[in-house]
Amino acid sequence: MTDIAVLVTDQLPGDAPGSWSRGRPYFVYALQRLGQAVVVILLAYVLSFVLITVLPGNAIATTLGNPQSGLSPAQVKNVESYYGVTKPVIVQLWLALSRFVRGQLGVSLVTHQTVSSLIGGALPYTLKLAGTALLVALILAAVIAYGSQYLPGKWARSVLRSAPSLFLSVPNFVIGLLLIHEFSFQLHLFDVLDPNSPVGTFFAALALAIPICAPLAEVLIANLDRESGQEYVLVARSRGLTQAKLFARHLVKPSMLPAVTIAALIVGELIGGAVITEEVFGRNGIGSVMYQAVSNQDTPVLQAIVALAAVVFVVVNLIADLVSPLLDPRVRLTAGGRREVATA
Amino acid sequence: MATENQLRADGPATEGAAADHTATASASATLLSVEGLTVAYGDQTVVRGVDFVLQRGQSLALIGESGSGKSTIAKTVLRLLPPEARVLAGQIQFAGRDVSKLRERQFRPLRGRAFGYVPQDPASALNAVRTIGSQALEAAALLPEGDTAARRARVMETFELVGLADPERVYGSYPHQLSGGMLQRVLIGLAVLPRPALIVADEPTSGLDVTIQKRILDLFSELQRSLGISLLFITHDLAVAAERADTLVVLKDGVVQERGAAGQVFAAPRSEYTRELQADVPAVNPDRYRIGHAAGLARRGESAAIRGTGIRGTGNQIDVRSVSKTFTVGARRVVAIEDISFSVERGTTHALVGESGSGKTTAVRLLLGLEHPDAGEIVIGDESVRSHSRGQWRSLRRHLQLVYQNPFTSLDPTWRLERMVREPLDRFGVGDQAERRDRVREALHSVGLPESMLSRRPTHLSGGQRQRVAIARALVLRPDVVVLDEPTSSLDVTVQAGIIDLLFRLQSELGLTYLFVSHDLSLVRQLADTVSVLQRGRVVEDGPVREVFSQPQHPYTKALVDAIPALPNR
Amino acid sequence: MSIAIAPQPARRLSATVRGVFTGVPPTVLLSFVIVAIVVLWALFPGLFTSYSAVLGNPAAKFEAPSALHWFGTDDLGRDEFARVVYGAGASVGTALVAVGIGLFAGGLIGLLAGFLGGWVDAVLGRLVDTLLAIPGFLLAVVVVTGLGFNTLNAAIATGVSSVAIFARLMRAEVLKVRHSVFVESSYLQGGSRGFVLFRHVLPNAYRSVLALAVLQLGSAIIVIAALAFLGYGSPPPASDWGLLIANGQNFATAPWLVYGPAIVIVLTVLSINRISRWLRKTS
Repeated sequence: MTDIAVLVTDQLPGDAPGSWSRGRPYFVYALQRLGQAVVVILLAYVLSFVLITVLPGNAIATTLGNPQSGLSPAQVKNVESYYGVTKPVIVQLWLALSRFVRGQLGVSLVTHQTVSSLIGGALPYTLKLAGTALLVALILAAVIAYGSQYLPGKWARSVLRSAPSLFLSVPNFVIGLLLIHEFSFQLHLFDVLDPNSPVGTFFAALALAIPICAPLAEVLIANLDRESGQEYVLVARSRGLTQAKLFARHLVKPSMLPAVTIAALIVGELIGGAVITEEVFGRNGIGSVMYQAVSNQDTPVLQAIVALAAVVFVVVNLIADLVSPLLDPRVRLTAGGRREVATA
Repeated sequence: MATENQLRADGPATEGAAADHTATASASATLLSVEGLTVAYGDQTVVRGVDFVLQRGQSLALIGESGSGKSTIAKTVLRLLPPEARVLAGQIQFAGRDVSKLRERQFRPLRGRAFGYVPQDPASALNAVRTIGSQALEAAALLPEGDTAARRARVMETFELVGLADPERVYGSYPHQLSGGMLQRVLIGLAVLPRPALIVADEPTSGLDVTIQKRILDLFSELQRSLGISLLFITHDLAVAAERADTLVVLKDGVVQERGAAGQVFAAPRSEYTRELQADVPAVNPDRYRIGHAAGLARRGESAAIRGTGIRGTGNQIDVRSVSKTFTVGARRVVAIEDISFSVERGTTHALVGESGSGKTTAVRLLLGLEHPDAGEIVIGDESVRSHSRGQWRSLRRHLQLVYQNPFTSLDPTWRLERMVREPLDRFGVGDQAERRDRVREALHSVGLPESMLSRRPTHLSGGQRQRVAIARALVLRPDVVVLDEPTSSLDVTVQAGIIDLLFRLQSELGLTYLFVSHDLSLVRQLADTVSVLQRGRVVEDGPVREVFSQPQHPYTKALVDAIPALPNR
Repeated sequence: MSIAIAPQPARRLSATVRGVFTGVPPTVLLSFVIVAIVVLWALFPGLFTSYSAVLGNPAAKFEAPSALHWFGTDDLGRDEFARVVYGAGASVGTALVAVGIGLFAGGLIGLLAGFLGGWVDAVLGRLVDTLLAIPGFLLAVVVVTGLGFNTLNAAIATGVSSVAIFARLMRAEVLKVRHSVFVESSYLQGGSRGFVLFRHVLPNAYRSVLALAVLQLGSAIIVIAALAFLGYGSPPPASDWGLLIANGQNFATAPWLVYGPAIVIVLTVLSINRISRWLRKTS
């Protein structure tokens, strides 16, 4: 769990002084970001390959050689040659990489299915959970941020301000266990553990969402604080605007736009958290596929999961980076127009 | 309840067209009356027992340096104080009605309709993510006209009134697409749109170039005359206040020092502080530095002979010949300076004058080797620095130092003063430890700072103190040339006076050559020997100060000289 | 400038002591106390409990919290509080390793990227982006699968994952200082690049990185607990806090087995977060 708010540090795209793209028009910027994304995806795959193949105890051969794998010697030979087990590591990497680029994720060492079908079967469940959690997190963060500014009573406001810090201090599996214990066991209210019911999905999503919403809420609060102190808010007030109109017309948009970048960054936490939450709530999804793969040492599956997670993260962040200059004229300002050289 | 009409502007002073504004003859002449106002932030009182009165159709200037409480008073009148501020005492009467006791809900309708606000920095006074038009409609919502089309028409009218050439384009633009002057006109227009009786302007010209300042102030005067709007003016610029306001109120540390008609206050200041202010403002007191300057000139001849040679040569100290520099920012090429030439004689002060975008900062950076010219030659002492290597520049910089404009960013916050002032000596390996310590003490002493400060960090120092430290650091190497990039523009007037006096004294004692960059012409007029005027990267006029200022040849120079505020005729 | 009259020596000392404590908000002081206690648990567990974390009295199983057993007993009759105390070393100590790795490797990368710029920055930037793209938890699972199930390996993995965030922050801080006016001024006064790096850039950049390190300590504790919970940390009879919770979740009638370690985790991380926020405010 990382402090995303810290990650931001005014790092608007193309804003880094000295960056050669500073001042270039949007098109060049977009191309540059796209290129970076591709490089990162490839590197992520390579990294996951290196970690899995090179680390001791992960050798494909060992897993295949396990007499309990239920494969005939002929099948073993097949799989071995598919992965090029006897060839040098670099060749194996090249094989795997070229397959990855074409969308082939390999074959499970244990169940003989293609990894794609394994993951494909489990993915929808995880997406449902993650999607719901993201929605809940956004709503929670918005409510906390709004309340931190406008709830009557100083005490209530400061409670809300410290909420994100509290949320970050509780592990999401603890929240999950707590919800299960209180609602299902103690109060007999809901069957929280039924993965197919909307209630079950909601509680699982809630457990996942609570730590996720924290960095988002923190950034929103910080932005609202900053914007409220700006001169233009004072000037708008001098035109007789009420509190509510002020918020809706002048504070919402400038505070939310930087949050788009943050939301993209927390996708990584969302994926990791989903895996844990699925286990706590006994749901199907990528999580169970992963645990199986770990206990069976089914390395191609593990590698594919890691690579896919990276792809999702990179793509989401790429979209955020491309979209936010279009929505926020301030960012466009730094990426395209404002001069930073001394001309006075 | 005061009638709507009493709260709106009186209308044109001459015979008005439609009888919209029935100027109630029975309305008193006093529009705004402030009595015994005391305001505190937390437990610090920033405004103490302030009284003043503003008559209808008149303008009143609240003058003071930073921390005088003038901005707080303005915000109190508008009820725009931050939550930590508390009004401890006092009464504010507007058009005969006590507004200080009103609840927020009753007060809010007055905002915009009865009083308008024009802020200091136009760039940050408009929401950057919304168009000008959408924000203008907010102001237009205060008008009786109901539908959007009618409101838009009134907005366009107002844009023309304030002198914006292309109202349609402005309406659809985002704030960052317009210049500072245009933005300020927009803000004035929006404040004036609902025809309020009073406009509170908080340093409305301090961020703008001098020539634009003049135009904005002219606009204010025009609006005041034609619309009958009263003006409450906040400023630290006494020259501007003396020229433009009817009444002056001088503030120091939240207390009124003096008040009265503008001409009177400056012709015959009664309080100590006002006398000090009047003496220190270059525009108001044209001889402030001239005397010191003349005396310094006399001593310079002697000290030049005593000095050892740092920069070689006997002729000009600095020679800039046909230098050009263009920057490539992204896809655009920006010509910063083109074919500029000037020279600085040994031991004199040469000023570079210009507004933003004139290229003066680029010229300074080229001179110091922080940038390299595209064309032309720079000769320092006897050597051309065109092809200097890093090492050569480094040894040259021993004799050529820079004092930056902003004393808050030019000092490392984690270093103690002693080490900071000693840094040049350490880096250049001058003398041994004991000698360096002595020179540091000497430098600090010569800028008038106590030795006890040596062990402190710059964090709690004021702007003036920091700038003195920066000067000490620049001088500790005993350079021949000191380049001063607007060294006092972020400081208060009285503090500025101290720094300038210091610079003069040091120049005459040490025979220094100064290159002084500034936009403050009245200051330059008094302390420079020669001047180069830059406009958009070119030198438009050049020569001895006396000539250039008394008989400017180029129209731009004429405009600059005209823009220097003149004192009211007595 | 007023000249302060030097106070009497005795008064000056007590004023200093009071100054140290009054400058710090009470919640921060409390946080320091809590963290100190946990650190002591890790170093000298025997001082805080006389029970064993491994051997239990089967006759005393599933006892609710009482004066005898502060956190009750578990399914093997072991004192839960003792288990928590003995688990502090693995749960918190390894987190320190994780942060150490992130801080030094990430800090170095960020420093080089920010200070040297150019292609170095571009290459290092892509590496950092890659590390950032892989969710920390997944990376930890993969590493642990390869290196073996124990908490130290989990910590190493967490550390590697946090390199990205340290690198990003350090780079941003370095860039900010590098382009500041006082750095340029230093070059004008004859400073060399190395001098500027060590004397100007680092002293100004390290403060927020330090605040981040403290924050990452908290988050590392949570990730390590999650790994232990799923069984990827050291196996029983180890008493990593996450493992304790995993064990406790099976016994719904004995909720103290979950709540005990959970509250300890929350309090510890909350305190660490508080300290980090305070550090950031005073930097």
